[in-house]
Amino acid sequence: MAQVSGYPPIIILKDDVDASQGIGQIISNINACEQVVEVLHSTLGPRGMDKLIQGSDGKVTISNDGATILRVLEVVHPAARLLADIAKSQDEEVGDGTTSVVLLAGELLRQAKGFLEDGVHPRVIIYAYREAHRMISERLKQIAVDVSGQLKVLRADPERVSTEEREAARALLQRCAGTALNSKLIAQYREFFAGIAVDAVLALDDDLDLDMIGVKKVNGGSVTDSCLVAGVGFKKTFSYAGFEQQPKKIHQPKILLLNLELELKSEKENAEVRVQSAAAYQQIVDAEWNIIYEKLEKIVATGARVVLSRLAIGDLATQYFADRGVFCAGRVPDADLQRVARAVGARVQTTVHDMRVEEALGTCEWFEERQVGAERFNFFTGCKEARSATILLRGGSEQFLDETERSLHDAIMIVRRTLKYPELVAGGGAVEMELSKFLRERSRHIQGKAQLLLAAYGKALETIPRTLCENAGFDATDLLNKLRAKHATSDENLWFGANLETGEPQDCWQNYVWEPVLIRANAFASATEAACTILSIDETLKTETSDKNDAIR
Amino acid sequence: MSLVFDEYGRPFIIFKDQDRKVRTKGLEAIRANVAAATAVSRTLRSSLGPNGMDKLLVSADGDVTVTNDGATILKEMNVSNEVAKLMVDLASAQDDEIGDGTTGVVVLAGALLEQAQQLLDRGMHPSRISDGFDRACAIAVDHLEKIAQVMEHTKADTSQLVRAAVTALNSKVVKRHSEALAHVCVKAVLAVADLERRDVNLDLIKIEGKVGGRLEDTIFVDGIVIDKDMSHPQMPKQITDAKICILTTPFEPPKPKTKHRLEISSVEQYRELQHAEQEYFTNMVKRVKDSGANLVICQWGFDDEANSLLYQNGICAVRWVGGVEIELIAMATGGRIIPRFEEITPEKLGHAASVRELHFGTTHDKVIVIEGCRSTRAVTILVRGGNKMVLEETKRSLHDALCVVRNLIRDQRVVCGGGASEIAGAIAVAEAADCCLGPEQYAMRAFAEALDSIPIALAENSGLSPIETLSSVRARQIAERKPYYGIDCLGIGTMDMREQNVYETLESKKQQFQLATQLCKMILKIDDMLQPNSLS
Repeated sequence: MAQVSGYPPIIILKDDVDASQGIGQIISNINACEQVVEVLHSTLGPRGMDKLIQGSDGKVTISNDGATILRVLEVVHPAARLLADIAKSQDEEVGDGTTSVVLLAGELLRQAKGFLEDGVHPRVIIYAYREAHRMISERLKQIAVDVSGQLKVLRADPERVSTEEREAARALLQRCAGTALNSKLIAQYREFFAGIAVDAVLALDDDLDLDMIGVKKVNGGSVTDSCLVAGVGFKKTFSYAGFEQQPKKIHQPKILLLNLELELKSEKENAEVRVQSAAAYQQIVDAEWNIIYEKLEKIVATGARVVLSRLAIGDLATQYFADRGVFCAGRVPDADLQRVARAVGARVQTTVHDMRVEEALGTCEWFEERQVGAERFNFFTGCKEARSATILLRGGSEQFLDETERSLHDAIMIVRRTLKYPELVAGGGAVEMELSKFLRERSRHIQGKAQLLLAAYGKALETIPRTLCENAGFDATDLLNKLRAKHATSDENLWFGANLETGEPQDCWQNYVWEPVLIRANAFASATEAACTILSIDETLKTETSDKNDAIR
Repeated sequence: MSLVFDEYGRPFIIFKDQDRKVRTKGLEAIRANVAAATAVSRTLRSSLGPNGMDKLLVSADGDVTVTNDGATILKEMNVSNEVAKLMVDLASAQDDEIGDGTTGVVVLAGALLEQAQQLLDRGMHPSRISDGFDRACAIAVDHLEKIAQVMEHTKADTSQLVRAAVTALNSKVVKRHSEALAHVCVKAVLAVADLERRDVNLDLIKIEGKVGGRLEDTIFVDGIVIDKDMSHPQMPKQITDAKICILTTPFEPPKPKTKHRLEISSVEQYRELQHAEQEYFTNMVKRVKDSGANLVICQWGFDDEANSLLYQNGICAVRWVGGVEIELIAMATGGRIIPRFEEITPEKLGHAASVRELHFGTTHDKVIVIEGCRSTRAVTILVRGGNKMVLEETKRSLHDALCVVRNLIRDQRVVCGGGASEIAGAIAVAEAADCCLGPEQYAMRAFAEALDSIPIALAENSGLSPIETLSSVRARQIAERKPYYGIDCLGIGTMDMREQNVYETLESKKQQFQLATQLCKMILKIDDMLQPNSLS
């Protein structure tokens, strides 16, 4: 800290606190953010590459999902962590566009750096950026294409809607999902997976509860062996002897769900019995058997043909059920049990005494145990109560399956979002080019510093199409010039973006590169917010000890 | 990862443990990955085909494994490189789904990556290469479906199934007895297969091994073999028309699960207790006897008192039988598993035509064979062999062959082996490549070249001149438009794989192509690696 000679030093902070401040600090923060952006840079777009990251715990992730990468990278720099956070919030809010939001924020900061060095006050920049964001949000609303009319048919009475209309609406959703999958490892099969994502979401009820879509990964098989099961499926649980004698396919079974252990065991942990004679001894044994048999009898008496429990179902119970033609599975994962409960309309019971049979039991059309790859799966299909879907993913390795699951999650989120907010824009950098043009034009009507800053915001927007081109190995400057010219010449060319197959401009709307407007709107908002936050920080105080802790960890 | 410094000379620490991580980027990263993956596939290359060599693997705790099964080798190799681990996953994916062709899929993936490397060196964008591979793979798989033939088999005529099993066994150590073993496999699969649903649950086939004897002594048991002996040496070794009581309770007075204590204060009480215990034993045996059972299979043990009582009553008994076996026996004999003595009833007994104890040579090794069961849904293959290593390898080989037969029951289509289908695929892809606009055509050609590496490896491993052999086969395939010609690995003197009876299932080949392509795409897409520094 500063000392003035002659006076005793005034110590405000502890010795080991590191403080830095001023414009230098802002620029230093910006530099740190650029490092983060640099990592994500090459993952954007259909020609984006993947990252292989081995975390400190030795776990390996291969991904090109921005949020996932930043999560496993474990960013510790305080300013850079903001970027990781906006990626996370984009992921939670929209589910896609996580890389773009980080790139955009990074570029906004990079543009601001020059102005800061020239002595522009950060507040001025922040004010201008907010203004720019307000302007493009309005413009975005104007140009977005409303498709709610087309999507309405999906929720309408099936009898009154022609199949063509339904198909058209489905195709529309599929295109949006396809755009999200474009940049992923499974891009080659994007139509296939987009179809699965759309069907899965459409299989749900109106509330579109994501929990009702189960994704199960089974190693082996080709990607195209992946499939959607209308209903709930989960992996066969550990079973005891006698399990194989149970029925494996039941038509319209009554289903009982339990959170109860069905095992011959001591009912109380710490109880101790003292007996005096051999006869009493036998009584205790009998009592214990009776407890379990009573439970089992009650279960069978309900008429249930399928019994699932979150806790263990022991060998005795397994054999008891096998003798009575009942299927049982113990130690079913909670998430799966909940899904079954919702789907078949059953309630999870914690005791078998005083059960209200009608309310407790659920049913479905078919229950079946089937082989999938090297695993056996239990399927409940044709559920009446709530609709649900299970996606079975197949593929060559665990890493591949993990990445497929993440990609599919993005696609599913997009479909859900589109159904809720049915407005679309064209991807492929088209919307960014249009907004950039719009800002540039507007900026000319403004007097003062904001003019330059608005233009800078516009330039920052171009980073998305530029990165797309760079990743595809095309000359970005060349293509951007062509695109700018297209957008400037006519309003007809609103949706011109980059064609990454040929490196030429194309009308992305015509070519079905569609995205929900929500992704973009949210990305612009978070990126602007993050950039402004970082620009407004002019001092960092860091206590040394927390760093040391990090090092030990 | 090197540190970055800001204007004040202070280091940026952006990521956790940044200074202890290594980052590899761009082409360099792809090269490193390709090198790691091809290194793995090169180890397996010499194991491919009927004349492939075995690997001797010594595990950390000194266990020795001799095998030429791709999946097993890779699993035992304990690779640490992350990309190499993907290759291991690849082999096990093939193993899980198909059960055969694990070596082939790894060799193919390695060859594809080697080809991709050359294209990368010429400056092609990795995702373009992936696109080209993808297209080529689709063409090759299409072509396979076109040239596939249906292999008819019925329950009576299993000769075709046997042939396919022989092909699978021919590349293994057990080659000499492939014919006999193939028959065993086919019999076993057909016994458990549900031909209508085309479903085979391989869990119902138990492979049991006993050191000693010769490979050709391997037998198929239409029933169950358990690695146990009768509990009393004087019990009969052979029971015909056995009524089996399957118990999951020990032959001893029942114990409550709750913590308990029995307090005895006088001699009187002690006597009483002893008497009660005696009572229990007599009662138990009586219940068994009354039900009409003459054989008791028990999951738990029983002491000598119960044992001799059983013997006196003329009931045979086997103790300490594992849970899985208990289940298999119950299913095969149609019996029910009985959890306590009170519940023994005649209806719950299982039935088998014959139960006998088998001795092996001069050793004291015995097994119990249960045959002639009510339902034959569970069967056993009893493998014999000179030593443990051979035995284990035989079991693995049988597993492969069983999988092949199962796949054939699921899908009757086959393609010719011996590299014939790869060559046919390569020709089709190369032709399609010429009609392809854009840079992908180079990648497609590279794919065709990579397919050729399978027959080349086969020829190399068989001691033939690889290029010469391949070109002559290729020429004949193109000239006669027949996808039957392959490498004559066994030196029979004909290139026609139909005459040699070398067939592989279509499903397995398709899967190999698809999985290998998928893995290549995955590796080619990684351009950035951040890993903990192994040196620090």
